[in-house]
Amino acid sequence: MLLLGLLFSNLLFASTADGKPNYTAIIMFVLFVGVTLFITYWASKKTHTAKSFYTAGGNITGLQNGLAISGDFMSAASFLGISGLVYLSGFDGLIYSIGFLIGWPIILLLIAEPLRNLGKYSFSDVVSFRLKQKPIRILAACGSLSTVILYLIAQMVGAGKLIEILFGLPYYSAVMIVGGLMISYVTFGGMLATTWVQIIKAILLLSGATLMAFLVLYQFEFNFNQLFSEAVNIHSKGKNIMSPGGLISDPVSAISLGLALMFGTAGLPHILMRFFTVSDAVEARKSVVYATGFIGYFYILTFIIGFGAIVLVSNNPEYLNDSGALIGNNNMAAIHLSHAVGGDILLGFISAVAFATILAVVSGLTLAGASAISHDLYANAFLTGKNNEKMEMKVSKLATIFLGVLAVFLGILFEGQNVAFMVGLAFAIAATTNFPILILSIYWKNLTTRGAVIGGSAGLFIAILLVILGPVVWVDIFGNNEAIFPYKYPALFSMIVTFIGIWFFSKTDKTKTSIAEKKLFEAQYFRSQTGVGIDKPNGH
Amino acid sequence: MQIRDTEEIYQQLKKARIKILVPLIFLTITSYFCFIWVIAFNSKFFGTLIFDTNISIGIFLGFLLILLIFLITLIYVYLANKILEPLINKIQKNG
Repeated sequence: MLLLGLLFSNLLFASTADGKPNYTAIIMFVLFVGVTLFITYWASKKTHTAKSFYTAGGNITGLQNGLAISGDFMSAASFLGISGLVYLSGFDGLIYSIGFLIGWPIILLLIAEPLRNLGKYSFSDVVSFRLKQKPIRILAACGSLSTVILYLIAQMVGAGKLIEILFGLPYYSAVMIVGGLMISYVTFGGMLATTWVQIIKAILLLSGATLMAFLVLYQFEFNFNQLFSEAVNIHSKGKNIMSPGGLISDPVSAISLGLALMFGTAGLPHILMRFFTVSDAVEARKSVVYATGFIGYFYILTFIIGFGAIVLVSNNPEYLNDSGALIGNNNMAAIHLSHAVGGDILLGFISAVAFATILAVVSGLTLAGASAISHDLYANAFLTGKNNEKMEMKVSKLATIFLGVLAVFLGILFEGQNVAFMVGLAFAIAATTNFPILILSIYWKNLTTRGAVIGGSAGLFIAILLVILGPVVWVDIFGNNEAIFPYKYPALFSMIVTFIGIWFFSKTDKTKTSIAEKKLFEAQYFRSQTGVGIDKPNGH
Repeated sequence: MQIRDTEEIYQQLKKARIKILVPLIFLTITSYFCFIWVIAFNSKFFGTLIFDTNISIGIFLGFLLILLIFLITLIYVYLANKILEPLINKIQKNG
């Protein structure tokens, strides 16, 4: 209640950059918060067991889960960031879009079904299926938590900045509102509320972006050629926006970024967790097809929106500051475009959608982080054997509050810092630690606990080290002249370290437990392929 | 009898799955890395305009790749439902 009071009093003073309050934005946003809090209240009555808290009871359908997955994946960073990148340099935005999308066939072909068939609440259930619980759970939780926290910081800082510009709220109160709402969604409503928040947000974002792209194309009589021609004429880089720019300049970076995006998606804990909310492998498959369709469609829209902004925003003085740059920054391209094609009403709608997007994504992340703490660390690594479900639920709620407060704190701490590299690092860690141990535990008979722990943690360490020694942190943030590690993207090197480490230390593992672990593989593989022995969902 | 039956279907399932997975994974990985490769080595080529328009090859192929990615997921689900699912169902019935 206190939070709601704070929220409303803040919103009363909310205004757009030019000082006039945007009532559409305020009404839309209050409506979204109202509906989602009501859903949370409804979900809280159904969320009594650990299973319902982590998996929404396992009754989510393929279409619903597909929407929720795309909701988790289409963050404000990808909506505003990619359209901003297209606005800035055209083609390069497409490199990111395709990179983010290419992970999905990999998830579908190699991971979705075995994951659903072997796991209960989190991907570490799968990795520890035949390996030793304690060390594997700790490793997987470290991988999950570092991915989640890095991602959270990037989202929080982005959210604070965005809300500051859109609603005129002070940065710290914006971050606190986001933190407070996400804590209430997750602690009270668990996965059920989080899933529905994602679904609503995905529908809002998809329809908002569709409307914008439609209005842009309408101005060009639905002729792409005309849109591109005018963009080339207006943009300061001219026809260079139609070809790759400076995003990738050497083959090592190309492969390294490619690997991180392709396999990182398949190691994101909040995405993997979604596969436990459906009843079986068939629904898991379906949800990936829906998600891939929605996300691919969405990236095509952001590309049109970015080009639309080049033509309709970049030489309109209303959206530029004195030095001729976009008000806010390049990430505001889509927001300004909404005003250019739809006036105050569309601006209000898109702003509210952007805010809803942030809220939904941080909620999904927090839930995944909380499950790593309560389910992996507390219940299965430290309390082995005397698992108490009531206590596990309590711990997961405490963990949610802890992560929420931590996210607010880190969001304020990193205000004004360049946090763009953190999402990249999160993908690199997911590709380096989470993905290899997951995929090898499913498909490689000879994987042992020793191999997974040594290889996985060596990769994690190298990925973080290379980012610190690389150009983004060592030069841009620490202010050194030259980077010790010359590449921006560490995944190629850290993934090699992980795979070689896992292979070597598994192969040379001749202990009794390792022989037992290898023996269990056949039975595990049978279950992963056929789903014989999995839990049935609650109720109907 | 039933156990031998299950074992046989299971072997069939494994073979069928590999037949479906290998070409699709190959297609996914090669198409993507070809795309990235051209960007890294021959980015000028992607700037070439096609068919007398202002649309470049890079943008055209990029959109095509997004479509292809979606098609791959569709094809897999179609094949999995048609070929793999009946085998899985038989095994599940046998227990």
